[in-house]
Amino acid sequence: MVDVSQHELVPEHTVLEEDTLEEVLSEYNIDRTDLPKIKRNDPALPDEAEVGDVIKIVRDSRTTDQAVVYRLVVE
Amino acid sequence: MQDTTPKDIGQLSFGLMEPEEYREMSATKIITADTYDDDGFPIDMGLMDPRLGVIDPGLECKTCGKHSGSCNGHFGHIELAAPVIHVGFTKLIRRLLRGTCRECSRLLLTEDERDEFRDQLDESRKLSRDLNDVTKAAIRQARKKDRCPFCGEIQYDIDHEKPTTYYEVQQVLTSEYSQRIAGAMQGDEEAGVERTTPDELAEKTEIELTRVNEILSGSFRPRESQRKAIEKALDIDLTEEDTNKLMPSDIRDWFENIPDEDIEVLGINPERSRPEWMILTVLPVPPVTARPSITLDNGQRSEDDLTHKLVDIIRINQRFMENREAGAPQLIIEDLWELLQYHVTTFMDNEISGTPPARHRSGRPLKTLSQRLKGKEGRFRGSLSGKRVNFSARTVISPDPTLSLNEVGVPDRVAKEMTQTMNVTERNLEDARRFVSNGPEAHPGANYVRRPDGRRLKVTEKNCEQLAEKVEAGWEVNRHMIDGDIVIFNRQPSLHRMSIMAHEVVVMPYKTFRLNTVVCPPYNADFDGDEMNMHALQNEEARAEARVLMRVQEQMLSPRFGENIIGAIQDHISGMYLLTHDNPRFNETQALDLLRATRIDELPDPSGVDDEGKPFWTGYDVFSELLPDDLNLEFTGTVGDEVVIEDGQLLQGTIAEDEVGEFGGEIVDTITKVYGNTRARIFVNEVSTLAMRAIMHFGFSIGIDDETIPGEAQERIDETLEDANDRVEELIEAYERNELESLPGRTIDETLEMKIMQTLSRARDNAGNIADDHFEDDNPAVVMANSGARGSMLNLTQMAGAVGQQAVRGERINRGYEDRTLSHYEPNDLSAEAHGFVENSYTSGLTPREFFFHAMGGREGLVDTAVRTSKSGYLQRRLINALSELETQYDGTVRDTSDTIVQFEFGEDGTSPVKVSSGEENNIDVDQIASRVLDSEFESEAEKQEFLGSRPRPTNLSEHADDRLAEGTEVTSDD
Repeated sequence: MVDVSQHELVPEHTVLEEDTLEEVLSEYNIDRTDLPKIKRNDPALPDEAEVGDVIKIVRDSRTTDQAVVYRLVVE
Repeated sequence: MQDTTPKDIGQLSFGLMEPEEYREMSATKIITADTYDDDGFPIDMGLMDPRLGVIDPGLECKTCGKHSGSCNGHFGHIELAAPVIHVGFTKLIRRLLRGTCRECSRLLLTEDERDEFRDQLDESRKLSRDLNDVTKAAIRQARKKDRCPFCGEIQYDIDHEKPTTYYEVQQVLTSEYSQRIAGAMQGDEEAGVERTTPDELAEKTEIELTRVNEILSGSFRPRESQRKAIEKALDIDLTEEDTNKLMPSDIRDWFENIPDEDIEVLGINPERSRPEWMILTVLPVPPVTARPSITLDNGQRSEDDLTHKLVDIIRINQRFMENREAGAPQLIIEDLWELLQYHVTTFMDNEISGTPPARHRSGRPLKTLSQRLKGKEGRFRGSLSGKRVNFSARTVISPDPTLSLNEVGVPDRVAKEMTQTMNVTERNLEDARRFVSNGPEAHPGANYVRRPDGRRLKVTEKNCEQLAEKVEAGWEVNRHMIDGDIVIFNRQPSLHRMSIMAHEVVVMPYKTFRLNTVVCPPYNADFDGDEMNMHALQNEEARAEARVLMRVQEQMLSPRFGENIIGAIQDHISGMYLLTHDNPRFNETQALDLLRATRIDELPDPSGVDDEGKPFWTGYDVFSELLPDDLNLEFTGTVGDEVVIEDGQLLQGTIAEDEVGEFGGEIVDTITKVYGNTRARIFVNEVSTLAMRAIMHFGFSIGIDDETIPGEAQERIDETLEDANDRVEELIEAYERNELESLPGRTIDETLEMKIMQTLSRARDNAGNIADDHFEDDNPAVVMANSGARGSMLNLTQMAGAVGQQAVRGERINRGYEDRTLSHYEPNDLSAEAHGFVENSYTSGLTPREFFFHAMGGREGLVDTAVRTSKSGYLQRRLINALSELETQYDGTVRDTSDTIVQFEFGEDGTSPVKVSSGEENNIDVDQIASRVLDSEFESEAEKQEFLGSRPRPTNLSEHADDRLAEGTEVTSDD
């Protein structure tokens, strides 16, 4: 089986700690349901991710080097 | 006029209306189908009852007392003789019928299941997902139940016959049960089924033998359990379908008993909507203002389509009641009921599949409620999202190279019609009086004035002198449009933001809008009959915004690719190429003539002295005059040579498309980004005028002789083509001998096709090269192709060498007759000629057969563009609708209207493509920026230059103002 998370084009997905999550939510002044979503069965997700977790995705960007995106795991 | 203050909409909720609500809001009950009596007065309780609102001016509304215009109209109502189904809810009705018990009306889910679905619904709501997925799943689960989990009643299938009929399908004992049983007991020897005796049957089914005999004789109908036992024993089906029509009244009774808790699971809010309200018992009658009648020229009244439909409904409604009271047979009642249902259905939607549309006497389908709202011309897309506007003009466009790119030439007759509101103050009083005294006919005049008391007076030829004297501060004058006014200019299709830009007005004679040719690319305009729209702005805020944000020079850079979209085009590029390619020399008169339309009125020191002792200037000198004094650039140019600009002097290279052209000309792009939009505007304007002068100086024309080649070249081309033909013949022969080896992954046929195509395309290229060898570098077609002004070397090849292979769907032409393209060829002729290879050039002329093949190829191109435009237009519409509510917030995030985040930083990097240059090819030149910043830092006083590199940009308020201000600042002549 191919592990897509190891593919060079798949950015890094990490589960966000609860307290960092609070910071993020207050920074943007939102509920976690206002975040973009990602499906639990998305092959890029780390195995420990559960529904309701928030994932931090760090992408390479042409202009800013690294772009950070948060997504809520949904079923 | 008190109710005009803007209000916030806090919340909208959608639901069903209760019949009682219809009655409450109704101004009157409607009982007669007639509209007006013989004297032309509306009949009371008729469809035009005066209590429903007024449409004739001067009359007073009987309900609210207002006059026509201010009275919005009032609803009436019709009491339907029998309930009918609302067409808009047929799907939901079907779902409810299938999901609830036919006996106790409860949802066919156990309490646990129900609660689970309710939880899912709550979650979906929180995640703003589609609730339909959950409700559909709930119904699907409920339908699986054969019996009601509460009362145990058996559930039957519901059949829906579109649009509004529902049946209950029951499985009942067929009337031929005895025959079927007897038949099955005979057995089937071929299939190996043995005979069954009644004794055996009785034993198997545990029914008494006497009963079995009774059943077999047909004198006893087996009970359900007995039926099932017999079916099992004999492996037969004893049932037949029995359909039972559900009348709207039955459905209404059914729905009335559905408990509130059960509806919630289906996504319906029981506080607002009850399912039985989907079956109408009362029909609201729209106010007359929604269906005004028109008085024709001959005095006859013509009623609106909705009124016609309502007349039908009331007529049938009355007949229904009369028949029922008279005790008419059930059959007639049902027919009338169906008719009433039809009329109510078509009243709401007249385009339902399976129902014939209700028609007008003339045969035209009626435009009923749904048709008013739907589609492009409907209420939403036609009247709310898009409207016709005042203060707009549309006419043909034509070019005018003397205008600045910021300007638009407006015909004087348009300028006199479209006015600007001028608030008179002490400071502009004199101007205002002059405008008014000129009257409405003379050009800078005025059409209306508004006194401080709000009264609006028309300025006429007669009263203009007197009126001018009365004008005081505080008045408003609607003056004609004059030079320097700002207007919005637009060409459809408005595919990007540069399709709508602000221009400054220049009033001109004649009837067309004039625009500078360099703004053609952003509008995608040409002058073959294109029309454009102009909108006059009506308040200061709009005018200021347009000036600062929308003016053409502010749109110089396209957000699509971050480079300039405005620049020199076509002849400008040919002109610049002629001026700079061989760096020709000019005497003083010529040099001054080239620069006459620019700001430069003094020449720099001459480059040298010619043989006769007179000074001369080179093309580089002339062009360099237009560049900013401190511009430094070095890049590879259009022609392939290195372009070098040092301190605003062009030292090397040819100026052509990649230097000053549209869509990313380096010099224009750099000037815009480094020196600002105003400087770029001046540069583009001057480049275009200089180029026009240059091209006129050299003279530039093209004719058929420019594409003809000497006889010996033609011979060589003929030879090449002959060669190619031979090689194709060889290939075909090899193919026929089966000696052709197929390329990997291809069949032999495909290989042959590919090889022939290759051979022929090489032949075309060779012919082109031979032809090219005979063209001088000053050949106008070559100049245009090399400079990038228009056309390519391929076009030239086709004109002088050979047109080459014609293709349909990327293959040689392979259609027409059986096994051949035209009846002129043998079947299965694989030669080049028979499949659309055009040996001739456009100059030598095509043979009829070549011409035919050429037309086939050309047709494909036309069809492709037609299909592409419509496809991409629809795609763009959907994309825009999907993205239109996204907005970048002040914190840099991109969010939709419900504040969910779409991007955490605009475009992931928070930068505008217009403000930043990105991409592999044009990386940011950090060194140059740094040195420039340092230069400006040391040059002037440190306090003044607190922000690094903040060169004071000239104002971008008005071109008229700019020119005055610009003299004082950096935009001066080069010396």
